[in-house]
Amino acid sequence: MEKIQTRFGEIEYDPANLLHFPAGLVGFPNLRKFIVMPNKKQGPLFWIQSVDDSDIAFVVTDPTNFFLEYKVVPEESEKNMLKIDNVEEYYTLSIVTVPSDHKITLNLAAPILFSPKSNRAIQVILEDTTYQTKTPLPS
Amino acid sequence: MLVVTRRAGEGIVIGDDITVKIIDVKGGNIRIGIDAPRECKIYRQEVYQRISEENRQATQWQIDDLDAIAPNPTHKK
Repeated sequence: MEKIQTRFGEIEYDPANLLHFPAGLVGFPNLRKFIVMPNKKQGPLFWIQSVDDSDIAFVVTDPTNFFLEYKVVPEESEKNMLKIDNVEEYYTLSIVTVPSDHKITLNLAAPILFSPKSNRAIQVILEDTTYQTKTPLPS
Repeated sequence: MLVVTRRAGEGIVIGDDITVKIIDVKGGNIRIGIDAPRECKIYRQEVYQRISEENRQATQWQIDDLDAIAPNPTHKK
């Protein structure tokens, strides 16, 4: 096990369980390794903590918890980055923006695709889409 | 920044495998064709910047706020 100091305190993690972003995230190309942090309350929101920059963490969720029809299909080059052969082996996550007024939004325009088998993840930009970077939860 | 003047039909080559070609110039719009390897992602700059800015904003959260909210998942059909 290894330890890092984050803005949420000390976190102990197993390097074998890290989530790898081979291309980083959009605007953060150097953030390659993340610790997956569970939600204490078993809710749909959890977070990923960067190992490369201990100040950086993102709240994420499975968007299909809230948007039942939401589906992102990786392109061939994206499947290669995830090291997956068929589309059954990946999951979709959305980055959640949590403002101080608690009116959270999901970034449905740039989802994260990840493969539990390879522990690899990529953030993809959906260019020709009506999905918004700040999508409020359905009321 | 390197600045070059090109006419319609002309292009530039970046490295060994990226070619940018000016297709045509009409009424203030320039159509550009790009040949690049598939793994080389190409985005409109404003789209890329919007996502980059949203990611930056998404890093600005507090653990107390996360603990205070408990959104209910939409019920699956």
